[in-house]
Amino acid sequence: MNISALSCAEARELAPELALGILSGAERAEVLLHVNGCARCQAYVAELTEAADVIPQLAPEAEPPAGFEARVLRRLDEGERRTRRRWIGAVAAVAAAAMIVSITVVRVVESGDSSSKPVAANTTQAEKPVPVPMELTSAPLPAGWAYVYDGHAVAVSVSYGMTPGGYAVQVKSPDGRAENIGTMTVSDNHGSWTGRSSRPITAGSTISLVDATGAAVCHGTVPTAL
Amino acid sequence: MWTVSDETLVAGLAAGDRDAAAAFVQRFERRVFGLARTIVIDDRAAEDIAQEAFVRAWKHAGAFDPRRGSVVGWLLTITRNLAIDAVRVRVPVAIDPASLLGFDVESRERSPGEHAELSDDRDRLRAALAQLPEEQSRAVVLAGLLGYTAREVGEIEDIPLGTAKTRIRTALLRLRAALVSESGQT
Repeated sequence: MNISALSCAEARELAPELALGILSGAERAEVLLHVNGCARCQAYVAELTEAADVIPQLAPEAEPPAGFEARVLRRLDEGERRTRRRWIGAVAAVAAAAMIVSITVVRVVESGDSSSKPVAANTTQAEKPVPVPMELTSAPLPAGWAYVYDGHAVAVSVSYGMTPGGYAVQVKSPDGRAENIGTMTVSDNHGSWTGRSSRPITAGSTISLVDATGAAVCHGTVPTAL
Repeated sequence: MWTVSDETLVAGLAAGDRDAAAAFVQRFERRVFGLARTIVIDDRAAEDIAQEAFVRAWKHAGAFDPRRGSVVGWLLTITRNLAIDAVRVRVPVAIDPASLLGFDVESRERSPGEHAELSDDRDRLRAALAQLPEEQSRAVVLAGLLGYTAREVGEIEDIPLGTAKTRIRTALLRLRAALVSESGQT
């Protein structure tokens, strides 16, 4: 468990700058470390962020250059083709991870007595991956998605707002117990990882990417029963 | 014209509905481009950022949660972060928030009682900003709109870092208080 060096008073002193998104990396990490473990400071930051998020709306409107809308829509069309391929890949990877487990179970069972075969058959039935939206901790912005399959297999893919570097993939059970299940690398705003959690992932479990300072940079909570 | 809600357009965007995507771009392009241009100054760079903001919004539309804030707040936060990243290395310059934000004399002279009639967050915040001491409103606009750090605000305003931090903090807390009381959530 991480013990934050900042007190509530110190964290609150920096909270406005955190909400405005203008803290340096080190200070930001320190405040997030505190805020992640302190519900009251978290609520305070959320309130300030609400006000801070309105400030960009004050900018004057301006007519974009001719053809802007068509250029944006063309990029969305191109992106759709690419993204479909990427997500099919991510879902396939989770399904493949689950399949490997199923195959292992079948082999273990097959090496035992034949009466266990119905159990093995049961583990291979198709289940739908549960999508978990991942959100940045610093601001209510999407970072990417995690998919959980069969309560253990996990695929994480992030594509926004993540500083390049290594992150621990952490699963926290609803009872608060945290376990690192792997590490993933983010470069050029993108990163993906697939693997397994030894403990079951259930509704209310949180999946986080934790940076070198111990701060959860993005997180998502499993919404439904698996 | 589209009369559907912002949230419905985002849902359409997430579902890959091309008409919804077109309506979404039409509805917000002036605000997205205007914000990008305010931060990066250059029109060409502003268009690149505005395009990228719409692409990001489309990619993440499925994760948009209306309980966490408005569509326009979400979209403009994405735009602001992209624009600030694009001008990460820059020389801090002094600005006059009143001219930047198009304040008119009338808005500065409104009495607090009249603010309840203001229609949306933007109007409420603009009115609240106009009620702040000028140095505080400048500090919070430099930080919240243009992404200047407290140190940069201190350089621009020629004040110690601690004073810059205090101005930013006091201003944001007062804006927060104004937003909460204006929307009747006291």
